[in-house]
Amino acid sequence: MSFVAAQILNGIATGMLYALMGLGLSLITGILNIPNFAHGALFAIGAYFLVSSALIIGNFWVALLVAPIGVAILGLVIEYAGIRRLYAAGHDYQLLFTFGLALILSESIILIWGPVGSSYLPPEILRGGADLGFTMYPKYRLFVMVAAGLLVFATWLFLEKTRYGAIMRAGIENKEMVSLLGIDIKMLFTVAFALGAYLAGIAGALTAPIRGLNPGMGPDMLGIAFVVVALGGLGNLLGAIAAGLIIGVAQALVAAYWTEASTVVIYAVMAVILLVRPQGLFGIR
Amino acid sequence: MSKLSRRDVLKAGAAAATLGFPAIIRAQSKEIVILGLWDQTGAFADVGPINDRGMKMALEERNMQILGRPIKYITRDGATQAGTSTRRTEEAVDGDGAKFVIGPWSSGVALAVSEVAKRKKVLHLFSGGTEDISGARCHRYSFQWAASPYTAAKTVVDSFMKANPKAKRWHLLVADYAFGWSVEKYIKEVGKAHGLEFVGADRHPLGEREFSNYVQKAAANKPDAVAMINFGGDAVAGAREIFNFGLTPKVPLIMTWSSGVEELVQLSPEIRQNCWVGSNFYYTADTPGAKAFVKSYQAKFGNPPGYAPSASYSMTRLLLAGFDKAKSAEVQDVIKALEGIEVNDIVGRMRMDAATHQNIRPYFFMRCKQKAAMKHETDFADIIATGDAPLPKEYGACKDIGGF
Repeated sequence: MSFVAAQILNGIATGMLYALMGLGLSLITGILNIPNFAHGALFAIGAYFLVSSALIIGNFWVALLVAPIGVAILGLVIEYAGIRRLYAAGHDYQLLFTFGLALILSESIILIWGPVGSSYLPPEILRGGADLGFTMYPKYRLFVMVAAGLLVFATWLFLEKTRYGAIMRAGIENKEMVSLLGIDIKMLFTVAFALGAYLAGIAGALTAPIRGLNPGMGPDMLGIAFVVVALGGLGNLLGAIAAGLIIGVAQALVAAYWTEASTVVIYAVMAVILLVRPQGLFGIR
Repeated sequence: MSKLSRRDVLKAGAAAATLGFPAIIRAQSKEIVILGLWDQTGAFADVGPINDRGMKMALEERNMQILGRPIKYITRDGATQAGTSTRRTEEAVDGDGAKFVIGPWSSGVALAVSEVAKRKKVLHLFSGGTEDISGARCHRYSFQWAASPYTAAKTVVDSFMKANPKAKRWHLLVADYAFGWSVEKYIKEVGKAHGLEFVGADRHPLGEREFSNYVQKAAANKPDAVAMINFGGDAVAGAREIFNFGLTPKVPLIMTWSSGVEELVQLSPEIRQNCWVGSNFYYTADTPGAKAFVKSYQAKFGNPPGYAPSASYSMTRLLLAGFDKAKSAEVQDVIKALEGIEVNDIVGRMRMDAATHQNIRPYFFMRCKQKAAMKHETDFADIIATGDAPLPKEYGACKDIGGF
């Protein structure tokens, strides 16, 4: 029993990271109405930014604050200098742009940091395992679970309880109406993309001490993020959180009894849920 | 004005054919086309470029010539996928005239390419962990450069148990494809003689990056040692998670079939503590061939070579040795020359078994160094043993390698 509990705990920890990724992607997809293929690359850049800034600053915690802000600024630039120019050109061009951007960012990682991966250890205080009674669990993963949980909650609070959050949600529902009400829709798009990039960046930064650095880490995560968005419902933020956790826990439980299927279960869960609810768990479109 | 008859046109055409075409035919047949099938995309995208380096170095040593004829080296991206790799191979054979193929890097994909080699009657050299190329699916056209999975398992298990006689409860993490299955089979077989108990053996998909679920399971089994039978990014991700969960350095980690340098450089010294590593090549191998190759590679690329460039380098040299011995560039002549060939190369003495096309050669076993004992940043490990025990006849699945 304790073994199953330990696997569920691990699933929640991993699922929180998936939720962070899914939440950012869902926000961008919902408001800008484009699948952001560069989301995985932004995740990878978050990880690389963390390690580089930690080495320069010499402090993990400051780096953890700085790195995702760097990714958010990058997101801002991408939206302002790239995607915004293509709104008039149409959906296909924006889609192609993010696809091309993903390749450019991935290759840039290789150019700047090299093709060989590396490891980065958690800060001293979070190394090793903590005895939870039913299992020994890495302290750093516990930290990630709590930090990612708080971030997800803070994002949800922002979107649900603040005026700008309400505007963002309205933007997901009906952009034209928001625009007619005199709200700067272009600014809304930029903020949404930067916030989505921030969430991808912090997910990458938190993941660096767990998965290390590798130029291919972005595409690895991108597939899962898309599954989370599809499963949760396009543009549905609560759905993204729930889907992230479902995927994480399903993966952990399947790995406990049938390890060979632990990757395929991600897609199997998606296929089954979409067969029953084509709009996703909480989606309406 | 004389009229040009149909007969005159035909004569002129025939004359042009005898003058022009033979020249083209001569030029085409003079060139020996060798294909390096190295992945630039997919799961082994990081390995392909360094495979290519090793192969080029071996060809450049011979000034891109063999038997007085120029070598045309072409490389194609197999995308670490059987479909793409077989298609690219067929295109290179049919379109570019390649008669000699080296690669790819994945065992599962190589088995598919080996079938193309058999059908197209081209020579195929491969290095990897599947036993099928020199076993159940052996044929005259494919050769295996890497040590047999049995040789690897015997070297790793015997050497590790000699150093850790009490570590009898093993948990295995196995890559779920041809290479993983082959090595797992022999680890379990050789383990019997040491009274090993396998408290768990979990298989994971190729390209797995989320190892926490597997490692949590391994930790719950409280093993004396964890042995990974995986490769590249999978091995790096696994070793990192095993450390994060606090298993290493308390519990030894055995990387049974490692790329050596390419994997170890991605792990920090803390993670490498108590790591034991088996590999087809390690750059401190005490052979004249290894010393010369490592020196030249380091001068060129600034870091020591791991298994990937070493394998492609040595396979290419082996192929060229086959040309030399055959004194011919005909596929079947070179195959006959390679069967039973004995050479001293980077890993030491190698002999290509004529009956199975399995290279009989040493396998290396290393122990990673403590951070304080490292003399420089790539001083990862010491070779503590080598072994070349060939696959016992009773396990051999290649009963008849067949004809051409």
